[in-house]
Amino acid sequence: MKPLSLTARISLLFAVAVSMVLLAAGMYLARAVEMHFVESDRHELEGKLELIRHLLERARLPGDMDRLPGQLDDALVGHHGLAVAVMNGGGAVWYITSGSGIHQDLLDARTCGDGPLELACLPHGLWQWRVGDRDYRGRVVPMTTGDGEIHRVAVSLDIRHHEVFMARFRLTLALAMTLAALATAGLGWYATHRGLGALRQFSGLAAGISAERLTTRLPEAGIPPELRDLARSFNAMLARLDDSFRRLSEFSSDIAHELRTPISNLMTQTQVALSRAREPEAYQEVLQSSTEEYERLGRMIGDMLFLAKADNDQLTLSREAVDLEMEARALIEFHGIVAEEKGVGLRLEGAGLVSGDRLMLRRALSNLLSNGTRHCPVGGEVAIRVGGGPGETVIAVENPGAIPPDRLPRLFDRFYTGDPARQAGAGGVGLGLAIARSIVQVHGGTLTAHSEGGVTRFEIRLPTPA
Amino acid sequence: MKILIVEDEPKTGDYLKQGLGEAGFVADLARDGWEGLELARTGQYDVAVLDVMLPGLDGWQVLEGMRRAGLETPVLFLTARDQVEDRVKGLELGADDYLVKPFAFAELLARVRNLARRGRAALEPTVLKVADLELDLLRRRASRAGQRVDLTAKEFALLELFMRRQGEVLPRSLIASQVWDMNFDSDTNVIDVAVRRLRVKVDEGYAPRLIHTVRGMGYVLEAEGGAGRDETRP
Repeated sequence: MKPLSLTARISLLFAVAVSMVLLAAGMYLARAVEMHFVESDRHELEGKLELIRHLLERARLPGDMDRLPGQLDDALVGHHGLAVAVMNGGGAVWYITSGSGIHQDLLDARTCGDGPLELACLPHGLWQWRVGDRDYRGRVVPMTTGDGEIHRVAVSLDIRHHEVFMARFRLTLALAMTLAALATAGLGWYATHRGLGALRQFSGLAAGISAERLTTRLPEAGIPPELRDLARSFNAMLARLDDSFRRLSEFSSDIAHELRTPISNLMTQTQVALSRAREPEAYQEVLQSSTEEYERLGRMIGDMLFLAKADNDQLTLSREAVDLEMEARALIEFHGIVAEEKGVGLRLEGAGLVSGDRLMLRRALSNLLSNGTRHCPVGGEVAIRVGGGPGETVIAVENPGAIPPDRLPRLFDRFYTGDPARQAGAGGVGLGLAIARSIVQVHGGTLTAHSEGGVTRFEIRLPTPA
Repeated sequence: MKILIVEDEPKTGDYLKQGLGEAGFVADLARDGWEGLELARTGQYDVAVLDVMLPGLDGWQVLEGMRRAGLETPVLFLTARDQVEDRVKGLELGADDYLVKPFAFAELLARVRNLARRGRAALEPTVLKVADLELDLLRRRASRAGQRVDLTAKEFALLELFMRRQGEVLPRSLIASQVWDMNFDSDTNVIDVAVRRLRVKVDEGYAPRLIHTVRGMGYVLEAEGGAGRDETRP
């Protein structure tokens, strides 16, 4: 099942809510009208009963009783649907309105709910019943005549015209409500559609964004505040994508460039060597030079694969407790050999434990150390400082020497070497710092470079579980 | 020393066979997994070099088949994919070593020799001798032509490695790994400097020179400098 569109969802909800309200209001209205009818019927019946009671009470003499039917006829004239029956103590019908709708069964009824008529009880002692296709309201009450004899008086009112009216009223109400609900749904749809216009504009813009047009941004001004955050985060995402994409493109072209040079060297020297017969030593020379070139290529490819894996979260970390002091000492012993030749000192301060992949962390630190040694002036000292606060271990590698601030953020870019004229020999291809940073990042830490007061400082910050 | 090579890439296979053959091994080459397993079962090899990606049976399956057939032949895997899972899988199946392409041939040679040495009970000598260079492992002392040579702990370890593997070309990566426990490619020239210093202590003023540079491959310690061994220009 396809999820409903936002517009359809909102209009539907709107229509349902409005229909509910209308339905409740309609039911209340119908009920109120009905009650009003009952009330007015009761009022009319009570009035008639009062009149009859009055007439009966005044009949004291035998002659009075004979005159009563005539008086009742006069009193009831012009009342359509109103019928009266009076029964004497013996149960015989003593008076009944002509053409009366009073059913014989009513005359025997004592309380509502009994008898074949299935009398329904209404408030204030009123009854309602049905004969054939007609509905009646009324009651039976005992009355005493002036001469003390007890009679039972039945009154009934044909409420057919009420019922017809109510049926019509209900139909009209239902019709009006259906129309209102439909209209609401339509209006709701229209309003939502209008309201979500900004969103459609969004998706239109987003659809137009491709790798070639990552510089497009959604407008952040003049859109509803609810969408402003979305636009902002969307734009931030685009900016990040744009940046990553740019780096990736640069990286790709750098790779091509970096590979082109050694391959071209290899081709040239091999083809030159083959262009005529030579002494064995000359061939040896070519092969030796080639093999050095191949080693460099192999190392570069290995490093690039490592970085690609780090980028794609495919590095598998073996977690163990790593004693930073021990690692740093081993590295200082290793790099010290070169540092000493160069006249550079290596020093370690502090100690700490982190959890991580020993080999990888050692590699990261090694890259920072060889970088520091390389850029340290003669007579200077490269210091490794291990410290940190709660929940964090800081490993800093410092060496005298300044880096211009505009070059700091680019230090970790791949194939970036500070000096355009690359040092030959110490085979860095500008991936060392990028690898160090990747390693620190897969450990959930950060690696940053700072340069202040003639000191360059690389800082590894690793989270340490408390 | 018999060695089995199972490699489907024609050039790689041929050069491995040639290189190992010239290094003194009797090398047989199989081009696919089925043939490799068949040869391994019948050939009594001291070492097998298996490529992981093979037509027919892959390297893992060949290894499994060999172990099921009760062959204890040490196995070295070659793979172009450096995946940790691969390495773990290989070790679980009973592989002994692992090399990622592209690798230095000297590295392969060193590792194959290492594996071939395994399973041969060698008497651990307490004194290593090459020409007039002596290394007393118990007393941690080195001497050349009877003269005491003072070495640092790492220089001693480096010289011990050279002498134990005399005649073998040791690539820089192997030296870094064995002596300093640096098991990754480093962009420093530490090994060159360390070997140069050792050479000053061991070779300077003596004849013959023992430590030789093999350009593009690494270093070797031997009394006879063969072809392609040029003395480094200091």
